[in-house]
Amino acid sequence: MEPTDKDLDESELELPAEPMTLNMGPSHPAMHGTIRMVLRLDGETVAGVDVQPGYLHRGQEKMGERGTWQQFFPYTDRLNYVSPLLNNVGYALAVEKLLGITVPRKCQLVRVLHGELSRISDHLTANGAMAMELGAFTPFLWLLKAREWIWELHETQTGARMTHAYVRIGGLAHPPTEDFPDLIRAVLPRIMDVVKESESLLLKNRIFLDRTQGVGKLSKAKALSMGASGPVLRSTGVDYDVRKDKPYLTYGECDFDVPVGQDGDNYDRFMVRLEEIRQSVRIIEQSLDLYEKIEPGSPEDQINIKDPRVILPPKEEVYSTIEGTINHFKLIMEGIQVPPGEVYQYTEGGNGELGFFIVSRGGGNPWRIRVRSPCFYSLQCCSGMITNGMVADIIPTFGSINMIGGECDR
Amino acid sequence: MPTFKLDGQEIAFQPGDTIIRAAHRAGIQVPHYCWHPGLSVAANCRMCLVEIESAPGFRPMSLDVLNWDAAKKEYVPGKKPKLQPACQQPVTEGMVVKSETSPNVALARKNVQEFLLVNHPVDCPICDQAGECMLQDYYMSQQRTSKRMRDEPVHKPKGVMFSDKIVYDAERCIACTRCVRFCEEVLGDPMLDMRERGNMYEITVSPGKKLEGHYQIMTEVVCPVGALTTSHWRHRGRVWLLKGTQSVCPGCATGCNMWLDVDPREQTVFRIRPRENEEVNKYWMCDDGMLTYGRIYKNRIVSARIGRGSTEQATVVDAVAKAVEELSKAGSRVAAVLSAQHSTEDNLCLADLAKVLGWDLFLSAKADWDGDKILRHEDQNPNRAGAQQVSGSASPLPSLGVLASSLGKYTAIVALGADANVNEEALAGLGGVGAFVLLATNKGPLLSRATVVLPVASWAEAEGSFVNAKGLSQSFKRALSPKGDSLPAWDVITRLAKGLKQDLGFKRFADVRAALVARTSVEPTEAKDDLSVHPESMTPRAGV
Repeated sequence: MEPTDKDLDESELELPAEPMTLNMGPSHPAMHGTIRMVLRLDGETVAGVDVQPGYLHRGQEKMGERGTWQQFFPYTDRLNYVSPLLNNVGYALAVEKLLGITVPRKCQLVRVLHGELSRISDHLTANGAMAMELGAFTPFLWLLKAREWIWELHETQTGARMTHAYVRIGGLAHPPTEDFPDLIRAVLPRIMDVVKESESLLLKNRIFLDRTQGVGKLSKAKALSMGASGPVLRSTGVDYDVRKDKPYLTYGECDFDVPVGQDGDNYDRFMVRLEEIRQSVRIIEQSLDLYEKIEPGSPEDQINIKDPRVILPPKEEVYSTIEGTINHFKLIMEGIQVPPGEVYQYTEGGNGELGFFIVSRGGGNPWRIRVRSPCFYSLQCCSGMITNGMVADIIPTFGSINMIGGECDR
Repeated sequence: MPTFKLDGQEIAFQPGDTIIRAAHRAGIQVPHYCWHPGLSVAANCRMCLVEIESAPGFRPMSLDVLNWDAAKKEYVPGKKPKLQPACQQPVTEGMVVKSETSPNVALARKNVQEFLLVNHPVDCPICDQAGECMLQDYYMSQQRTSKRMRDEPVHKPKGVMFSDKIVYDAERCIACTRCVRFCEEVLGDPMLDMRERGNMYEITVSPGKKLEGHYQIMTEVVCPVGALTTSHWRHRGRVWLLKGTQSVCPGCATGCNMWLDVDPREQTVFRIRPRENEEVNKYWMCDDGMLTYGRIYKNRIVSARIGRGSTEQATVVDAVAKAVEELSKAGSRVAAVLSAQHSTEDNLCLADLAKVLGWDLFLSAKADWDGDKILRHEDQNPNRAGAQQVSGSASPLPSLGVLASSLGKYTAIVALGADANVNEEALAGLGGVGAFVLLATNKGPLLSRATVVLPVASWAEAEGSFVNAKGLSQSFKRALSPKGDSLPAWDVITRLAKGLKQDLGFKRFADVRAALVARTSVEPTEAKDDLSVHPESMTPRAGV
């Protein structure tokens, strides 16, 4: 007769505890954006992990050196592809700083409005995916429904849902439609309804709370020493936000708060993002008011700066006058002539401080473009957050960092 | 040296210099169209206007003008300095000139540029000059305004064939008269002229004359806009796809400096332009020189052959083996023929091999052609002097004709280049020699006489240097990869030497160049990159 459980010694019931090496990714569906983790498992506990990024490296920075200054915009769309307009704006601001130009007020406000909408879409995605990875599939679908509304709004303005390439050096590809403020005003309450509904499913949910609170903890010191920024840093209690600490565009005129967490765990990261959505809504509402206060026909009511050395002439002029043809030809074939120099310009991207370090040696194309992608630094914190946790917590913890392969690997 | 001040910068000048020329020497550009460093001053484009603040003995002139006062909303009387053309104004010691720093100058240039574009057609997309056009450059640097004129522009003849080489477009012309002055001053033959005035001006072929001769393409080269185009380059490509390589013309013993404009994607030379060298060709080149790129493609030998008159391709390895076999049988009874068409380095290798094996040296060359007093040398060979130099002999090398008359002494010939300036009878004689190893780039009279043919790279496909008739040794750079199976001649000769158990000590081109410099104690002049000083060379940045 075979022995029953009662006959066995307690220790024999435990799982075999020999260390085991396990590869997660790069093709694992939960490893968003192709990343590889080599795990050393002790039973279900993670004894060690080697996080290996780079599987989505496309040499974007190098490609930037080949093209003209304008031609880098489509590549920035493919950095953090959940909030491409923030990347567009970050790069444009860097080149504008090098050129010593400031775009008109209307353009600045449009950039802020699109940027904050992008941030909302970014956070909706991150939080939705994190919930899904804990088994809550409904909030994910709801939040992505709301993201789709934002993307549809972007599509009416830029022509594309995701890869907009809408911003230009010294302005925008084309002006916003007349009903742009109305479209935003119409969609914001609907989005917030969805957010409220979704959080009601999660924030009182025992499973969700147990599996996020105290999981994937990151200390303030560690986050700072690793160069983390954005929601990952703020969840540890540091209130660093580029929009607040080094205001650019019209952020200085807006009243908004920087939410921070306490423990730096998955729950805090989730809650920081949730609150940031609300703060973005505040910024958008204030910016819409500022946008509508612009006097029509005034110099502020412009989308582009007035400089033929930077801005393409209208197409009618290109096709019918030699001046327009030459202007267009020179800007397209030789590119904007940016003076020699170095510049580091940083903005608050969806995941934190998105910086562009650019070296120009004069002429129509960049000598070097370096992207400080925020999630590369967040990812550095990842192994510490996973180690000594459970295998099942890897996915939600990794999700809470919101690593975007396109941005991390470039 | 005396100096003057341009935009606050102290610049040295030579007595007699104009402002623009002194600035040009110092590598500073004063915007201009009609001025050309090699031509007389016309001062008709008014683009180079500058403000002379003060000069000894100079009373600044000022004009009474009306300026628009935006606040008062009316014109108010004001003063404006009288601007002077920098191309015409001689420099004096201590003169203070403002060019880029003067708002008056900026306004004047902007207006000049606007007038030049008033009737200009919207042609950039189909114009050969686009990308290296001074109208485009100065639009961006000086004008930057939209069109104000709303009338239909004046229409004038387009696509006028001045000759079979030159096509004229009157609508694009800015009447700078550079082409007219080139014909008159450099060629001494006023083949081109201008008719009508104002809006209706037009360059024409002078009444009773034709645009002809050896320097027609130069009129296109001096044209700062797209009015004159050449039929050989017209609509064939775009300049920004080209990359300029510094080279030397292989057309005659003058050794004009030039740019080989290559499309790197297609590995094709599309055109040749003169490169400034005050000692050799100044700013000019002849048509035949600018069309020498044809020989990179026409009548090329691209694979090795074994057997007299054979048309079958052989590998270079097999052909070298066969040549070595034939030459080792002949022992020292070999005639080595240097070439006045090949680089000094190539000739040096063959001369060295001949020396160690006790071979006799001869020289092959092309026949003389019609020279002139401008640039064209009677000797069609770019490197007769260089071949002579490396042979180590004081007396001129015997020609192929001499070789043909003393064939009894030799059982084998190894020749560089397929050219031969001898009659049919002598050629037939050369064909009678048992072994004839030919290293050649293009087909020529010697080709059918050879028993082994080895393809070698043209001058555009290898580094090297030519010594011109004046004894000036000039190096050229590699612009293309060698066609077909061909290799640089020095490389092929080194392979032959290896087969013949001789070590010439050459592994890379640099070794051959070092040996040449050691022997002649003359370093070939480097291909100068003169972009910074020559306005006409604004163009080599094509493709950047």
